[in-house]
Amino acid sequence: MWSMTAVTDDDKLDRETAKKVIRRSWQFARPYRRTTQAALVLVTFWTATSLAGPVIVKYGIDEGLVKKNGHALNMAVAAYVVTTIAAYFIARLQFVYINRAGEGFLRDLRVRVFDHLQRQGLSFFDREKTGVLVSRMTADIESMGELIQWGLLQFVSAGLLVVMSLALLFTLSWELTLLAMVVFPVIVVASVRFQRDSNRVYLTVRECIGNNLSALQEGISGVRVIQAFAREDEQARRFQESNQALFASHMDSIKVSMWYFGLVEFCGILATASMVGVGGYLVHRGSVSVGVVTAFVLLLGSLFDPVQQLSQLYNTVQSAGASLQKLYGILDTAPEVGEIAGAVDLPEVGEVEVHAVGFEYVPGRSVLHDVSITVGIGERLALVGPTGAGKSTLAKLMARLYDPTTGTVAFAGIDLRDATLRSLRQRVVVVPQEGFLFSGTIRDNLAIARPSASDDEIAAALASIGVLDHFLAFPEGLDTEVRERGSRLSAGERQLVALARAALVDPAVLVLDEATSNLDPGTEAEVEHALESLMLDRTVIVVAHRLSTVRRADRIAVVDHGGLLELGSHDELVALGGKYAALSAAWERNQVAAPQPTAPDGSPPVR
Amino acid sequence: MGEVVEPAQVQPAPERTPWRLLTDLLAQQQRGLIAGVVVGMCWAAAKVSIPRLIRNGIDRGIAGNESLLKWSFIIGVVGVIAGIFTAWRRWLAFRESRITESRLRERLFNHIIRLNVGYHDRAQTGQLMSRASSDLQQLQSFVVMIPLTISNLFQVVAILVLLLTSDPLLALIALAPLPLVNLSARRFSSKIHPAVMAVQNRQAALATVVEESISGVRVVKGFGAEGVQARKLLSEADQIRSVSLEAAKIRSRFLPAIDILPSLGLIGVLAVGGPRVLNGDMTIGQLVEFNSSVMLLIWPMRNIGMTLATGQRAAVALQRVQQVLSTESTVTDPLRPLALPVEGPLGALVLRDVRFGYDPERPVLDGFDVSIPAGTSVAIVGSTGSGKSTITRLMLRFYDVQSGAIEIDGCDLRSLSLNDLRHAVGVVFEDTLLFHDTVAANIAFSFPDAAQERIVSAARLAGADEFIEHLPDGYATLLGERGYSLSGGQRQRIAIARAILADPRVLILDDATSAVDPSKEHEIREAMATVMRNRTTIVIAHRPGTIALADTVLLLDGGRVAAQGTHDELLTGNARYREVLASFAELEAVVDVDVEADADATLIDQPGSDSSIPEPIGGG
Repeated sequence: MWSMTAVTDDDKLDRETAKKVIRRSWQFARPYRRTTQAALVLVTFWTATSLAGPVIVKYGIDEGLVKKNGHALNMAVAAYVVTTIAAYFIARLQFVYINRAGEGFLRDLRVRVFDHLQRQGLSFFDREKTGVLVSRMTADIESMGELIQWGLLQFVSAGLLVVMSLALLFTLSWELTLLAMVVFPVIVVASVRFQRDSNRVYLTVRECIGNNLSALQEGISGVRVIQAFAREDEQARRFQESNQALFASHMDSIKVSMWYFGLVEFCGILATASMVGVGGYLVHRGSVSVGVVTAFVLLLGSLFDPVQQLSQLYNTVQSAGASLQKLYGILDTAPEVGEIAGAVDLPEVGEVEVHAVGFEYVPGRSVLHDVSITVGIGERLALVGPTGAGKSTLAKLMARLYDPTTGTVAFAGIDLRDATLRSLRQRVVVVPQEGFLFSGTIRDNLAIARPSASDDEIAAALASIGVLDHFLAFPEGLDTEVRERGSRLSAGERQLVALARAALVDPAVLVLDEATSNLDPGTEAEVEHALESLMLDRTVIVVAHRLSTVRRADRIAVVDHGGLLELGSHDELVALGGKYAALSAAWERNQVAAPQPTAPDGSPPVR
Repeated sequence: MGEVVEPAQVQPAPERTPWRLLTDLLAQQQRGLIAGVVVGMCWAAAKVSIPRLIRNGIDRGIAGNESLLKWSFIIGVVGVIAGIFTAWRRWLAFRESRITESRLRERLFNHIIRLNVGYHDRAQTGQLMSRASSDLQQLQSFVVMIPLTISNLFQVVAILVLLLTSDPLLALIALAPLPLVNLSARRFSSKIHPAVMAVQNRQAALATVVEESISGVRVVKGFGAEGVQARKLLSEADQIRSVSLEAAKIRSRFLPAIDILPSLGLIGVLAVGGPRVLNGDMTIGQLVEFNSSVMLLIWPMRNIGMTLATGQRAAVALQRVQQVLSTESTVTDPLRPLALPVEGPLGALVLRDVRFGYDPERPVLDGFDVSIPAGTSVAIVGSTGSGKSTITRLMLRFYDVQSGAIEIDGCDLRSLSLNDLRHAVGVVFEDTLLFHDTVAANIAFSFPDAAQERIVSAARLAGADEFIEHLPDGYATLLGERGYSLSGGQRQRIAIARAILADPRVLILDDATSAVDPSKEHEIREAMATVMRNRTTIVIAHRPGTIALADTVLLLDGGRVAAQGTHDELLTGNARYREVLASFAELEAVVDVDVEADADATLIDQPGSDSSIPEPIGGG
């Protein structure tokens, strides 16, 4: 079977880049150099043993059979046995060595790339697609695994085999070698062309497979619409089109490979035929022995096979090179937010002070400009404004998820950039809209916030927001596996875990992003209650989406077009008659649609 | 061997053996397959003759006095034949296997898209996808082996006969290691399989850590938990290394052995045959012939082992495919479908004492009774999970009622052909699925041959014409996952245009505006009002503005009609109605959106404000 790895033009490395990638990999593989060198030495030996067979047969025929020397024949048999056994053990060893080096290399690569990824700032993750980053760490590295398991050895040994068998043939008989060299270039040229053509065809096949899969997916996930509009026949016809295109591309790929394999078969036999003819002539003339001719017939395989292997491995090696280059590209990206030398710990409590802050995600496109605001100790501030106005960005800056482009954000008078990251994360905690859980137990998910926390502390954190009993009621309690993304818990329960996580840190400042959509009704009230407990006695900055939340805030900041538009309490802002007043009035009007007994303070009832 | 079989797939043992499906398919390709086998036999004959020809070349040409040219010429000619037949045999084998795969895939697709929606609600898209992709691939890689293996077997048998007849003892010695090759190949596959699975499992575990750390990067950073994640990854990376090395150990034990074992036969030939040559019982040519013949056997022997393994995998794959194909749709055309009346006021709808539950024990609708005169409209209001959307599904016969009946213009839905029914009932769903096709084709969904004017006029009525004209290629713009992406409001207008073009006698607007930004909802409402005019319409909605479009409102509670009247009547007279509406209002009391809904231009996003900026602090 021919290799099914295809390389697009974008992935092909030029000579310079390839050299760099190889040099860098060699540096990277420093801890495994000795093992690698040992493996290379073993491969050389192994290649030699596989060539020894025909040579020994030649010796046996010439010295033993032709000269009627029984001793020489026995020697030949003994030597053959010895080399075969040696070959087995050398082969085993080389496998072990190359895998030890290779798997070690991949392990280091995984760890290093991941650590480097984690040191990137958030803007890096905003820019890069999650899927791409994940596939760098998985598919790209795994594809190299195949190369390490057998490809690399085969690549080296095939190269060595060509060189060594040519050298060997030459010493046996230069005339016959020259003869073999007539066929050899045909194989080389055919292999190179085959490699190129099959790569091209396979790229088409891959595209057709992709199209076919999306037609399939469209049909299956769109089945309700298709049936609702009685469109089954048309859809089947369209699927057939993509299926036929796929079939045709497969046929193209077979055409490419069938001629190649036919030609290789023919060349091998042709070479044998000419060996018999010309070799026989030379034997008659007395310039070579029958043994040499036999050795040639047997050795031709080891000259032609490796060329085919090399051409098939070429793509695999190329795509591994491309993967490595991408991974090194990640390692070369400088981390963004870091801790400066001589950073200080933040004090226990303090005001959050935003001073003349401006921010751009993309240089030249201002998201916030000249925003100044001070949040007092224990104050609750609601950020309000239309989508894209910059209120979430402002909240993120207050937690130093990003650094401001201009101006400063300070806690207790200390610029956040001068603070140790550790103390910063203890003072300021962000609770996102939706509770993000990691696979593992509920306990593991809390401990993310403070790995050193004891079981009692974890229980206390849950109890402090009044949800300990909820989770203890699970059959496995806090040891319940939440599964990937916490899929075993409801959205509300996930949010509870996220809140408990924040409680475990016990921060001075809480930055909240309120959910825009409803949680499951069952836990809605519980989440509401937990949130209130968590906010108690802390400075709270909440990106508010509901008027009920806004009403409960001490002060409201209306953010619009990247600037601070209005700031004050609900009553002050309503009195001001500005945008907040309009907004509040709009909500009141909406109430009319659904008359509802309202609480005396005018806030909507909590469901 | 074989894949992990999903438990859901194993339960009912299919009545027909999976192989029956394959033999039926292959019977249709008889000619191609027979040609493949015949060509393969010619190939095998050519290959088998070569060692004998080499022997003759050496013995008669080199050692004897016959013409060297003659023997090398014959070998050369056989080379040409072998080359051509190698190519031909490959071509036929691959072509036939791809034909099988391709035909079966079309059959599967045809079957799947016609299966009742109830089946699809239970089945996972991914699983059905893999039936029609990876399972068929397994099958293809087995089918390709059928003609190839037959000719390989022929080659093996021919060589065995030749060797055994020319020198039985030497043949046995030469061949002795070959069963060992086969045996170790089989033992190797059974040992390496769990090891490879272990590696894959560990890789998946690492992928989870990576995926979570990147998707949850805001949480990780927010709590400074980089160290925790780094430790997890380190442990996974270490485990991958150790299980990979386990697999490598297995490979190192077997692969070189499989490679080297045949050499033992060659040594045996030299050890036993050599003295015979010395005694004059045997020629050098014969010795070489033995050698070359043994070498010829190595590949076919390994290949047969591989075929057995792919055969087992193919059987599992076939069984899964067969299971899908043998599932009958529970919603089918009646034997003698009635025709809907074409005269008089059309679209009168009666739902009589309808009872239905996805779990028959727990009905969603129970005693649901309503009658909608032709040309009028009804809004259905009910809390989440009250069964509003279930009505849509019953109307389209995605599911059949368990008792009671639904009638359009006096015809029970079950007495109509599915095609007629689904042309008579049009739906605008909550979330519009656009297909990877042009805007025009997406609108002309129910009538692919519709004229361009009809498409444009439908779009115009739906209020979609204007934005479509502004798309890069107008009506020819490609949509869908890989095409141009539209906003929620634009998608819904396309969906409405789709419904207008279908011109159904009963229209269902199933929460058609809920995915639309409230500030844009009024635009959709106009389009909806247009399409509803003089048409029997069911509006499922929760925003008062949309509910008001209908002539009457019906409160769905406890599986039946709890109250009926105009919006205002219910609002003043029904507490439950107010409660349900209030719960929706609470859902939507979203500050920033409300401002926009109020159309207070000053607070609406400025054009050019960067919507690509990630809004939520967390989540991602």
